[in-house]
Amino acid sequence: MSGFHGLQPDPSMIGRLVKPAFVLLPDPGPFFRLRAERLAVLAEGSELGPYLRFLAGLASAQAALAEALPPAAPPPAEQLQRAREHHMPPLDRAALAAGPELPGLVARFLDGLEAVEMPPPAAAALAQLRGTSEDQLKEMLGNVAVDAIPPDSLPEHLFLAAAFQVQVARHAAVLDAAALQPIEVGVCPVCGGAPIASAVVGRPGAENARYAHCSGCGSQWNEVRIKCLACGSTKGVGYQEAATEGQAGEGQEGGATVKAETCDSCGNWVKIFYQNKNPAIEPLADDVASLGLNLLMRGTKYRCAGYNPFLIGY
Amino acid sequence: MNMELSRRGFLKAAGAGVAATSLGAMGFGEAEAAIQAHVRGFKLASTTETRNTCTYCSVACGIIIYSKGDVRKGEKAEVVHIEGDADHPTNLGTLCPKGAALKDFVQAPTRLRQPMHRKPGSDRFEPISWDAALDRIARLMKDDRDANFVATNAAGVPVNRWATTGMLAASATTNETAWATFKVAKALGIVGFDNQARV
Repeated sequence: MSGFHGLQPDPSMIGRLVKPAFVLLPDPGPFFRLRAERLAVLAEGSELGPYLRFLAGLASAQAALAEALPPAAPPPAEQLQRAREHHMPPLDRAALAAGPELPGLVARFLDGLEAVEMPPPAAAALAQLRGTSEDQLKEMLGNVAVDAIPPDSLPEHLFLAAAFQVQVARHAAVLDAAALQPIEVGVCPVCGGAPIASAVVGRPGAENARYAHCSGCGSQWNEVRIKCLACGSTKGVGYQEAATEGQAGEGQEGGATVKAETCDSCGNWVKIFYQNKNPAIEPLADDVASLGLNLLMRGTKYRCAGYNPFLIGY
Repeated sequence: MNMELSRRGFLKAAGAGVAATSLGAMGFGEAEAAIQAHVRGFKLASTTETRNTCTYCSVACGIIIYSKGDVRKGEKAEVVHIEGDADHPTNLGTLCPKGAALKDFVQAPTRLRQPMHRKPGSDRFEPISWDAALDRIARLMKDDRDANFVATNAAGVPVNRWATTGMLAASATTNETAWATFKVAKALGIVGFDNQARV
């Protein structure tokens, strides 16, 4: 179970140079299941345990929903053609958010959260969502689709963001990965979303290549390393890692498994994980679990350009 | 380029007095406070990753050098790891055994850092200044060339032949450096001229 498809065994590549795949599309069921498992593992012994356990419950519900739903219908051929011609992502997030099947999916997702333990504010938001009118729901899903979450109704939107992730991942899963093309640095070539973070991978055929992970559809796409994901500059890129006194760069070759990739050209930073050192890393789960790095980075001149709906405000 | 880049920052600004973090809003304020307390024992450390070209041979594989410390921030940088550059078209991240051992080459205590001279009859190398080294090389080349230069061949045709000194050029050079090297060697008449393309 890898959570992604498009990787085929190829014995002929042994001893040869292989160009890493451009995009890996999610397999929604296993994708959310692996995320839930990783969150549960990270919750053990972490100060953030309660929140990680809650997110694990959320991801389990996402997995159950994704496994229960039939495969999504691929987008119409003309939409794919238009996207290709105009250098646009093939999935239209706004159209997906306004689609007729989404309210039903959201209702099923919310039902699946019955067994998840949560603090009163989250439970209240969930109850509030269950009684929301269809028009209000549409408006909130519209906010989620463009990653514009209003601060005064964060909890409600976070539940909807989780449901929307399932819907976009389902539609991403049925695309033809070979037909996708790069849009811009730091823009998901599948749904146009912003990256949560990027990860240097160690899987065969892509050793030490870097993949950015979409905060919306869950796809991962190849990006050149040592390049700012916010502005595309290769000048002035540096790395910050959390360390105790005199410990930086110690341990495994090249230092920590999570760092902040900073850019002096645009003043932004995005997290980068080293999956080549720890293959268990799941970018969304580990982004939340490494909140400490976000807190340390708040004291610097850099702003965070990674987007994770479950880590808003840092 | 990235339209969402200021989203988190925006929420922070708009959220004065409002629970404007995902954790706070969902009711996980205690976990948030615990992690804030936890990170007080930590500080940020700069590291860098720098693209470069392997110095060994003319294949010119791309490498990434990991350092502890950032020179641009006025710190001292120390190489901690070197690996193949997966984005480089020549090697796609692979390295030969010599390239894979580059870190030890960089940090070797026996690494040549200045001109060294072993005097005739001596059993050890001693440091010598660049000026003294180049003067001595030029002197010896001039003496040898004056003694052995061939100005005409057997048929009396003028030629430019200096066969008693050879030159072995290095591999990790640009086309321009290689061009200039060739011009210097051939203008002097050096016949035995080769390039150490794959060390």
